[in-house]
Amino acid sequence: MGWTRKDILHMEDLKPSEIQIIINTAKPMKEILSRTVKKLPTFRGRSVYNLFFESSTRTRTSFETAAKILGADTTSLAVAQSSVNKGESLLDTVRTLQAMKPDLVVIRHSSSGAAHFLAKELKAGVINAGDGQHEHPTQALLDLFTMQEHLGSVEGKKILLVGDILHSRVARSNVWALKALGAEVVLVGPPTLLTPEIKSWGVKTTYHLDEELAGADVIMALRLQLERQKAGLLPSLREYSQLYGITAERVQRTGKKTLIMHPGPVNRGVEIESSIVNSSQSVIEEQVTNGVAVRMAIMYLLLGGGTNHVVD
Amino acid sequence: MWWIKNVQVVDPAQSFSGNYDVLIGEGRIIELKKSMTAEEVREKLGESSTWEEIDATGKYLFPGLIDVHTHLREPGREDKEDIASGSQAAVRGGFTTILAMPNTTPVLDQKALIEYVVNQGKKVGLAKVHPIAAMTKGQDGKELVEMVELAAAGAVGFSDDGRGVQSAEMMRLALEYAKLTRCPVVSHCEDESLAHHGVMHRGFVSTHLGLRGIPSSSESVMVARDLLLAEEGGGKLHLAHISAKESVALIRDAKKRGVDVTAEVNPHHLIFTDEAIAETPYATSYKVNPPLRTEADRQALIEGLLDGTIDMLATDHAPHTWEEKANPFDEAPFGISGLETALAAVWQHLVVPGVLPVETLIQAWSMNPAQRFQLTGGSIKPGAVADLVLFDPEYAETITADSLATKGKNTPFLGQKLQGLPVKVWVEGRLWER
Repeated sequence: MGWTRKDILHMEDLKPSEIQIIINTAKPMKEILSRTVKKLPTFRGRSVYNLFFESSTRTRTSFETAAKILGADTTSLAVAQSSVNKGESLLDTVRTLQAMKPDLVVIRHSSSGAAHFLAKELKAGVINAGDGQHEHPTQALLDLFTMQEHLGSVEGKKILLVGDILHSRVARSNVWALKALGAEVVLVGPPTLLTPEIKSWGVKTTYHLDEELAGADVIMALRLQLERQKAGLLPSLREYSQLYGITAERVQRTGKKTLIMHPGPVNRGVEIESSIVNSSQSVIEEQVTNGVAVRMAIMYLLLGGGTNHVVD
Repeated sequence: MWWIKNVQVVDPAQSFSGNYDVLIGEGRIIELKKSMTAEEVREKLGESSTWEEIDATGKYLFPGLIDVHTHLREPGREDKEDIASGSQAAVRGGFTTILAMPNTTPVLDQKALIEYVVNQGKKVGLAKVHPIAAMTKGQDGKELVEMVELAAAGAVGFSDDGRGVQSAEMMRLALEYAKLTRCPVVSHCEDESLAHHGVMHRGFVSTHLGLRGIPSSSESVMVARDLLLAEEGGGKLHLAHISAKESVALIRDAKKRGVDVTAEVNPHHLIFTDEAIAETPYATSYKVNPPLRTEADRQALIEGLLDGTIDMLATDHAPHTWEEKANPFDEAPFGISGLETALAAVWQHLVVPGVLPVETLIQAWSMNPAQRFQLTGGSIKPGAVADLVLFDPEYAETITADSLATKGKNTPFLGQKLQGLPVKVWVEGRLWER
């Protein structure tokens, strides 16, 4: 099966076969990352623009690294500090960008749907690097890649997503991807961050972490924006971490060698106990490495690298 | 003068509909009869008069529609709309009278500003324009406007529309003081702490799209409050743009208890649901406040309109520039441009499929608004002012940015063909033709 998409905007309509193509392409990319000379001539002369309207060191760096290894020229526009403050609309920014004839544009924006907006206007391929509270597809793909490396297939595996489900684009992307591949997903969080409408996503939801620990293959803690507490959604970070913090004691109660994941950056002692972040079960740093590999794979596919070497 | 022959007259104010001949004289309706001869017409209009004969077989004659909720943006935001473009859009849509909301720049809270809108409307000379004055100075929710003076200057209601009145005490005072004017207080029901900067209905679709939700309770809580205030202290309450099923139930109960309340619903809430935002996806032409809600809400609104719980249809015509709407969903302004497409859309989506009887349509969009806001029009009685719409159910038009007279091209119907449009409109006997 060939690759036909121009953009990666969301996980929701990505088919399992497409997800697998990306992950299978990421495997040889990861191998390249371990070489001494990390540079391919594949996309020499091709241009990748990183358009980050929200500050993000790790995701932007990850995309930049991925593009550079593939030999593309990368330009990063930290738009938060430039045109938006001068009152330029996203549409005008995009038109300016189009005039520079990019091959690929990576966008992060605080508005849900911003990547769709861009894809409609641009001839170039668009990769959504996080749009508001909607989706963060490359995060879900790197999470899946990491899970598959440790667990094989995720089908039937019990995967807990813990924390601020309501505001999390990581949660949404992971839910659609994991559902598509047949995993047993459980969303865990306090009622103010796991509102009743979320039941309609079609996966199990619960307020009680301790009841769901047994048999969990993966526990993914989500980043808690500390301003949620100030906005009144949580009485205190202390109570949050008592109820939903991933502690050594809780990890032990799964009865398995459970993988501990987090999209980063971690608020140590809030979402995850510090000792667990650095434990042997934690794959948080591997997630970062796999992030580069998955982003290389996506760029490779969108820039027309082909799927010849990929076993479908 | 005109002799309209064999036209299907719909006039709920006289409780009839059927085929008639109608004579229109100098600004007035002269006669309405099952059929007429040329001799009778000459006798009625006068020996020396001339007239135009219109064979209206297959067409409808409605009393001119009255829209109690429009935003004409003048003064201040003439890039979005002005009174000239807005009144032209109105007659094109079948509206002979429109009420203009006061959330302009500056806010319509003083006599000179009310007079300005009245005069601009007259100068344009298309639809009749009546301003609704602000309820509080600057629409700040703190001090009442000089209601008596503003009513004398031409205001027909009071409203802080665009924002909800957050203080219950302020709302109570407005309802009571407005008794001096006999004008309704029009409430935009929205609790801002619950709406919490949301951009669409809070529900399955909003969590799916990752857009901040506006819960139904942000409206229904305020509907309940205002109904209780009107019940306790009296006052004439009109509830703008009802969108949630809970609100419909509250209004139905209050009416049973005899509360002096009327309510309006916007066509888009009767036609679309929040699913439209997922299907497009993120099309800002569907971003409106109150937001498009669920199918259950849509059904409750239709039921409310049919059983009289909801008294009126109103467009909430909210024109914006193309540049403002060409933004990510979060950043685009709320509002749908409605005047030119509303009647055709309701006709096509609700009347043709048999959901809404044409009599109810006219009752809700002409008769009830005239009665509640004490306006001329709303009926085709001989002797009444000639505000009339000749409506052709076969006439179809593709809606494009160029075909619209309004400056606000922000309609979900852009690019679509709508069938059922006014072909001739008389405002006080002055004819406009499509």
